Amino acid sequence: MNIHHPRERLIDDRPSDKAFHVSRDAFTDPDVFELEMTRVFEATWSFVGLETQIPRPHDYITTFIGRQPVLLMRDGEGRIGCFLNTCRHRATMVCPFKRGRQKFHVCRYHGWAYDSAGRNTAVTDKADGQYPAGFDQADRNLLPVARLESYRGLIFASLSADVPSLYDYLDDARTFIDLVADQSPVGQLEFVPGDITYTFDANWKLQFENGLDYYHFNSTHSSYVDILAQRARSGDATGFTTELADEVEGQGSFNFRNGHAVNWSIKKQVRYGRALASDPAGLAEVRSRVGDIRLKWMLRQRNLTIFPNLQIIDISSAQLRTWRPLAVDKTEMTSHCLAPVGESAEARRFRIRAYEDFFNPSGLATSDDNVMYEFCQTGYAARAGHTLGHLRGLDRGQGTRGDHARELGIAPIDDAFGGSGFGGETNFHPGYREWRRLLEGGAMEAADA
Amino acid sequence: MLDRGSPDRPSTASHCLADVERLLFVEAQHLDDKTWETWADLYLDDAHYWVPSWLDEYELVADPDTQVSYIYHTSRAQLRERIGRIQSRKSITALPLPRTLHVISNIVLTERDELSVDARSSWTTHVFDPRTRRQHLHFGTYEHRLVRNADSYRIARKKIVIMNDCIPTVVDFYSI
Repeated sequence: MNIHHPRERLIDDRPSDKAFHVSRDAFTDPDVFELEMTRVFEATWSFVGLETQIPRPHDYITTFIGRQPVLLMRDGEGRIGCFLNTCRHRATMVCPFKRGRQKFHVCRYHGWAYDSAGRNTAVTDKADGQYPAGFDQADRNLLPVARLESYRGLIFASLSADVPSLYDYLDDARTFIDLVADQSPVGQLEFVPGDITYTFDANWKLQFENGLDYYHFNSTHSSYVDILAQRARSGDATGFTTELADEVEGQGSFNFRNGHAVNWSIKKQVRYGRALASDPAGLAEVRSRVGDIRLKWMLRQRNLTIFPNLQIIDISSAQLRTWRPLAVDKTEMTSHCLAPVGESAEARRFRIRAYEDFFNPSGLATSDDNVMYEFCQTGYAARAGHTLGHLRGLDRGQGTRGDHARELGIAPIDDAFGGSGFGGETNFHPGYREWRRLLEGGAMEAADA
Repeated sequence: MLDRGSPDRPSTASHCLADVERLLFVEAQHLDDKTWETWADLYLDDAHYWVPSWLDEYELVADPDTQVSYIYHTSRAQLRERIGRIQSRKSITALPLPRTLHVISNIVLTERDELSVDARSSWTTHVFDPRTRRQHLHFGTYEHRLVRNADSYRIARKKIVIMNDCIPTVVDFYSI
């Protein structure tokens, strides 16, 4: 691998010149992809699951961090552990299932056993093994990840110890996790059961960008916009929300440290309902608990990206999606319908229908995004110089409104606000800056360890 | 001899396999021929069209109101909404549209009453995308609930189980 001066070659970031360009190679070069795996995905915090996915002792799920298989489970005392899903004997994947509940995981190859705390409890026929001296003292337990922490029930793991605390890593993006979690009377989030997995033949960063890209909505999703308009005319206004008269309509974003960002919009007239607003009693309960300002923000569209591979989209429904890059031009997506624990059956039904309507390869909006990523991937192969896709908002035409951040009590490192058609692109920048920092070796020690 | 039914013999007391088979095959042809308005006409106004997701390796979603489905529609109007989106040529999932080929087999009837019959079948859909020159195959089972009116059947319910549920890019009514 030989990337000379990647700062100049992959990203051209000159704030004083109001320039920001991402090289086409970032999307097409297999060598960049290799570096992304070791220095980004396998070297910083990754979302691995919800605490509510493994509520009881011995519950487990399996997933991946970058390319590495992991087993996330609770031990007999209810403590959560996350381990590389590989037998210490001959590397076999210890647990082949997506989820379940077991006190012990027995490797099917030679029968080595591990308990739900990851401890090696049996080596088959050890006494007959003629093992060298020291074998008994050697660490044969499942290898834990370097760091494992939770925020509001969202569990993150890092294969590198060289990361800040999760709390500091998330920075004020935490507030936008709170705005989802606090919709629950018990402050907890859960996945509505039902697995959705899909792939697209394009680079993962197209998904990263799309989740922060307000600009594409009316063009990419014009067929969906037509459907929303038609439905609004037909008169069902369940869950529709309004803004106070003195709110200025527009679209904005906040940038946070470590690559995270959120975009949001203030619309006087929304053409879709929201699960939270579909249940007046539930809405009143939330208002009494969080107050008018937080509730107002809960009812606004918010697309949150936690770098490098978590997005929480809170619109008519809520989606939590993660991605696993499989190759420079192939990405596997996992999508969940995210829900507050304890919402009413009516609100839950509304949430599920709205989720199916919009998201997933079968939804009326996400399916267009997936195809668009593939159009982009094909287009990126053209040697047509740098693109002009990361510039909206660099000139701050309408300036920012610091009061948006102030009323939420957050201190973003940057923000943007414009008219309804703004769709700024500067909220992609923190992710790309963190990406470049990591690629340049911010986590080299961990990757090489 | 195994009893596979035959065109001249009723497969249940009230329903002839050949009639049911014809409805299923006609539906598949409309999907492949992209005559989707006519396809939707095969459904009753309040038809249920359900594509459940999987809970895990073994269990399918059983309750659309508490679990996630790929698609859960409870009226023909919702099918027409999907058709309209594709035919508007505003959705790039339709630019260009893939060619599809449905194959249906292993039809087993269960009589409900004189006018209503359930049909379980096996299906495969071959999908070819002229844009990418990629092709893929989806396969699974259909569960139709058919209601006879005069001399023809209409679809009251259709449940589509997708066995290979890691979806390449897009899945819609025409590819399953």
